[in-house]
Amino acid sequence: MEDSYNKTAINGLDPKFKFEVIQAGGEGLSACYQCGTCTGGCPSVEDMDYTPRQIIRMVSFGMREKVLNATAPFICASCYLCQMRCPRDVKITDIMAAIKSISIKYSNSSGNTRGQAFYTSFNEIVYNLGRLFEPMLILKATFRSKESFGYKIKYLTKSVPLGIEFIKHRKFSMKPQKVESIEEVQKIYENVRKMEAKE
Amino acid sequence: MKYSYYPGCSLESTSVEYDISTREVFKAFDLTLEEIPDWNCCGASSAHSESYLLSLALPARDLAKAEDMESTVVAPCPSCYQNLKRVKEYVEKSIENRDRINKALEGTGLKVEGKVAVKHPLDILINELGLEKLAEKIKVPLEGLRVVTYYGCMITRPDGSYTFDDMENPMTMDRITLTLGASVLPFTRKTRCCGGPVMVNNEETALRLSYDILKEAKEADAQAIIVACPLCHLSLDAKQPFIEKKYGDKVNLPIIYFTQLIGLALGIPEERLGFDKLIIDASGITAKYKPKKKKSTKKKTTAKAKSITTH
Repeated sequence: MEDSYNKTAINGLDPKFKFEVIQAGGEGLSACYQCGTCTGGCPSVEDMDYTPRQIIRMVSFGMREKVLNATAPFICASCYLCQMRCPRDVKITDIMAAIKSISIKYSNSSGNTRGQAFYTSFNEIVYNLGRLFEPMLILKATFRSKESFGYKIKYLTKSVPLGIEFIKHRKFSMKPQKVESIEEVQKIYENVRKMEAKE
Repeated sequence: MKYSYYPGCSLESTSVEYDISTREVFKAFDLTLEEIPDWNCCGASSAHSESYLLSLALPARDLAKAEDMESTVVAPCPSCYQNLKRVKEYVEKSIENRDRINKALEGTGLKVEGKVAVKHPLDILINELGLEKLAEKIKVPLEGLRVVTYYGCMITRPDGSYTFDDMENPMTMDRITLTLGASVLPFTRKTRCCGGPVMVNNEETALRLSYDILKEAKEADAQAIIVACPLCHLSLDAKQPFIEKKYGDKVNLPIIYFTQLIGLALGIPEERLGFDKLIIDASGITAKYKPKKKKSTKKKTTAKAKSITTH
C-alpha cells in the first residue's frame, strides 16, 4: 500500500489524501479558509494533539500519516458545534468521522487504539444483532484495544459498580435484543461494503 | 393523530424510563405511537466511523418501514432522530442519492423515497399539540421547582434544512417547563456537549465535560437538570457518582427527562414514569408534586418562583 502512495508523494506528502477524505464523506474540505471558528468552539480541543483547524489544513496538505495517527479525530465527540458554526459550510464533524473510517480501514493488526476498537466493536455487534447491547460493547472494545492486560482489568473493574447500579434499577435485561430479520441488516452491511469497494 | 415510533437501542436498555414516560405522555394527549416493526440500530455515531454510506443505509431500513406505515416518525433519542432525518434529507435531495440508498437496501425487499417526516417529541409537543393543549391537562402545577434545561448537542443540529429550534439557544424545553409551572434558570451550557460519545474511548474528556455542566447547574441553584437525550442522561446521571469521586465535589443533582416532568405535572403516578430507574434519587421532587394533595405549601412557593423566574 505504501508504494503506490510514495510514487505521488512530494516530501512525504500525499496529494490524493484529501480526495480520499472527501470520498469518505468529508464534504466542503477545500472551502476552508482557516478562520479557526471550529477550534474556538470545540469542547474537547484541550485534549487533542492537533486542533480541528489544523487537522483540516493537514488533510489539504496531504499529511496522510500524521493525520491518520492523530488522536484528535477520536477525541472529537461528534457534537457538530464546529460544523454548525462554520462560515464556509465545511462539514468538519463529517471530516473527523471520515478520517476515523480511513484510520480504522488501514489500522494494522498490531492492535487497535481504544477509539478504533470501540467503533469496530460497535459495528460488529450491530452486524450480529441488529441492535446495540451496551455491556457487550464495553467488553468487546476493551479486549480489542491494544492496551495492557492489567489496564483492561482495571478499567473493567472500575465499570462494575455502574453495571450493578443498572441492574439494581432494572435498567436492562441481561439478554440482548435481536432483530428478527437480521439477514436484512447483514445484507445492508454487505451491500455497502461491495459498493464502497467499487467506488 | 398517529405516529410511527422509533425507540432506538438506548430506550430499550439504559434509558428505559425515557421510553415509558414518552409513551405515557403521548397517550395522555391521544397521540398514538405505533412502534416500527423489527427496527434496527440507527448506527449512532459509530456507523459513520466505518463508512458514510453505512451511516445512511442502516437508518434507511427503518425509514423504509416507516414509509410503509405512512405516518410521521417520532424518535426521542437525538442521535437516532438525527440519523433518520439525515437519510431522509439525503434521499430527498436527488434521484441519484435515492438510487444509491436503494441499492444499499437491495435484497431486503425495502425501498425508501423520503416521503415521511422525521420529528422529535419536543417538536411534536410544541408545534403539533401546542402549549395551550398541554396547559389544559396540567393537574399538578410544578410551582416552586427550579430547574435548568440541558438539550445536549445533537438535538438541534446540524445538517439539513429542518430544525425545530434555535441551534445555539434552543427554547422548546424551556417553554414546556415554564408551561408546567416550574421556573427555568439561566444556563449557558444548554447545548454544550456532555462528552457522552467518547465516554468509552476517552473517559477523561467525557467526565470533564459532564462535570462542567453539573457544576454550572449546581451554582445556578437548580434542583434538577431536565434533559432530552439518553446519552446526556447517562453521562450526567449514572456517571454522576464517578464525577463526584473524581472531582471531590458532592453534586447530588437529579437528572430528569422532560417527558417525566410533563408526566408528573399531568398527575401520572411516578411508577408509570420510571422515576425509580433514575440513579440519582429524585424522590424529593416527586414527593412534592404528587397528584391531589393539600395545598398549604403552595402559596409560599409561588411567590418564591416568581422572584426567580428571570430568563
